[in-house]
Amino acid sequence: MDSSLHEVWQAAAGSPFIPAVGKGSQFWVAFILLVIGFSLTGAFALNRSLVNLPVLAVPASLALAFGVVYMFCAVGVYV
Amino acid sequence: MKTTAVFSAFLSLLSLASAASSKKSSSTSTTLPVTFRPPQVFRNANLVHIISVEKNYAKENINVLVENIDKAAQDEYFVPFTADQMSRLGGVEVKDRKDASAGPFVAEAVEFDQESDIQYLRIRLPKPLAPGAQQTLGISYYLLKAYKPLPASIKQEDQQYLSFSFSAYCPSAYTTNKQKTEVKFPTGNIPDYTKLPGSGEVKEFPQKQGSKLTYGPFDEKPAGAVQPVSVRFEFNKPVTHVSRLERDIEVSHWGGNVAFEERYTLHHRGANLSLLFNRVKWQQSQYYQPTTFALKELKFPLRVGSVDPYYTDVIGNVSTSRFRSNKREALLEIKPRYPVFGGWKYPFTIGWNSDAKNFLRRTAAGGFVLNVPFLEGPRQAEGVEYEQVQVRVILPEGAENVKYHTSIPTSSITEAGVEIHKTFLDTIGRTALVIKARNLVDDFRDRELVVTYDYPLVAMLRKPLIVFASVFAVLVGAWVVGNVELKFDSRKK
Repeated sequence: MDSSLHEVWQAAAGSPFIPAVGKGSQFWVAFILLVIGFSLTGAFALNRSLVNLPVLAVPASLALAFGVVYMFCAVGVYV
Repeated sequence: MKTTAVFSAFLSLLSLASAASSKKSSSTSTTLPVTFRPPQVFRNANLVHIISVEKNYAKENINVLVENIDKAAQDEYFVPFTADQMSRLGGVEVKDRKDASAGPFVAEAVEFDQESDIQYLRIRLPKPLAPGAQQTLGISYYLLKAYKPLPASIKQEDQQYLSFSFSAYCPSAYTTNKQKTEVKFPTGNIPDYTKLPGSGEVKEFPQKQGSKLTYGPFDEKPAGAVQPVSVRFEFNKPVTHVSRLERDIEVSHWGGNVAFEERYTLHHRGANLSLLFNRVKWQQSQYYQPTTFALKELKFPLRVGSVDPYYTDVIGNVSTSRFRSNKREALLEIKPRYPVFGGWKYPFTIGWNSDAKNFLRRTAAGGFVLNVPFLEGPRQAEGVEYEQVQVRVILPEGAENVKYHTSIPTSSITEAGVEIHKTFLDTIGRTALVIKARNLVDDFRDRELVVTYDYPLVAMLRKPLIVFASVFAVLVGAWVVGNVELKFDSRKK
């Protein structure tokens, strides 16, 4: 146990932790990201080619990745 | 006097016998030889023992003026307890009554002979006490499971009485020149108490003043002197005992949330019902005699900003709860599914969320610091006691360099360590700080637990990266599978 930790807490009074996306907007951010992700996935599914891998598949995966994480939070499972 | 001398001689014989039979020894630094006796280097010049049985645990305060009668400076003061008391003892805090800045002092149980009936608590004075010098110690502690209901079973509309046994002479490892024991009760209704012959002007001990009994002052008593006495008093409130409390605090950086969940195994240690529970009588008594020894409501004052509370038990959601939340308070009032009478048990779970900004801050060094209450149980007029407490702080996945500090007495903490907890969307599992404590009471509510940790950016991006990699692998797989030619090539080259 380190008794100096209380001072660390006091010293950090001016910088409370604020998340990148607040609780109120998590659902809409997640929803829009998932819609974009699924649309791009659909577009890639219709036209599968090596060029479309970086053009469609990578942004689709990124949008789905962050969309899934925020949707988990939006429904109350704070991961 | 004779009885006490015989008793202490018997105790010393007993511990000698057990010392001879026991050859066990442990290698920890607090271990002392089995034949250990506290050296007679102190004398208690004056001692006041205050026992409060107002709540459903006994709170004891020993204020003692100690004097070093040895030729060398001394820094170890021993307090004896019976083995049974030792297992129920908790929340030991020792301070200098005249110098608040000096404490709290280190108090730890001495391991010397597990089979001895007398066990010792060792108090380390921060500065050795010079020969002939005096110091005023304030030793406070709690005894759990302190009472027995008497009668052991009553009707549901009857008054509950509890009995409590203790020693009129404060147990001490040193000669005590002058002492008295005060016992404070919740009401002035104390139908039975042991009477002792008085001394000096007082004909008979104890002296009763309202809801307080005073045994003493007594003249010089030798080390180890005891005088068993017992009292029986009205306690028409629930004797709430939590045999196990599991408290989870889950920190989410992505969600900006701190989630709390508490799982209680609650017992009522009061008088059992002598007849079957009668629901009609119970409903009637709610109107004409609302005070009862049954537990019918628990109030949890949560931190302001708490949201989304839930209250469940083994059956499922319990709808008899209210949550009053505004700018000044967040009070969760729950009613158990049934009134809890003596000998009954009620396990339940409550939980709530709060914004991370209320508990979590960024440090200048780039890490994070979390400050949460170690214990947030119900606030009841009659008090609540906790036998085993497990607090688990679940930090985000990949958090490292975990350090903690808590302001509950260190002697109450039995175990602390970092474990891995796996849940949704985890790959390597979350870092969980687990602290186990025993024998705490609700007086320690809101004592803080400060945890610092580092959380690198790569660890933070682990969750989306895992999902990204999985989805991208599926899409690449779809492209590869789509390019496989399954038809026979009919063209001739």
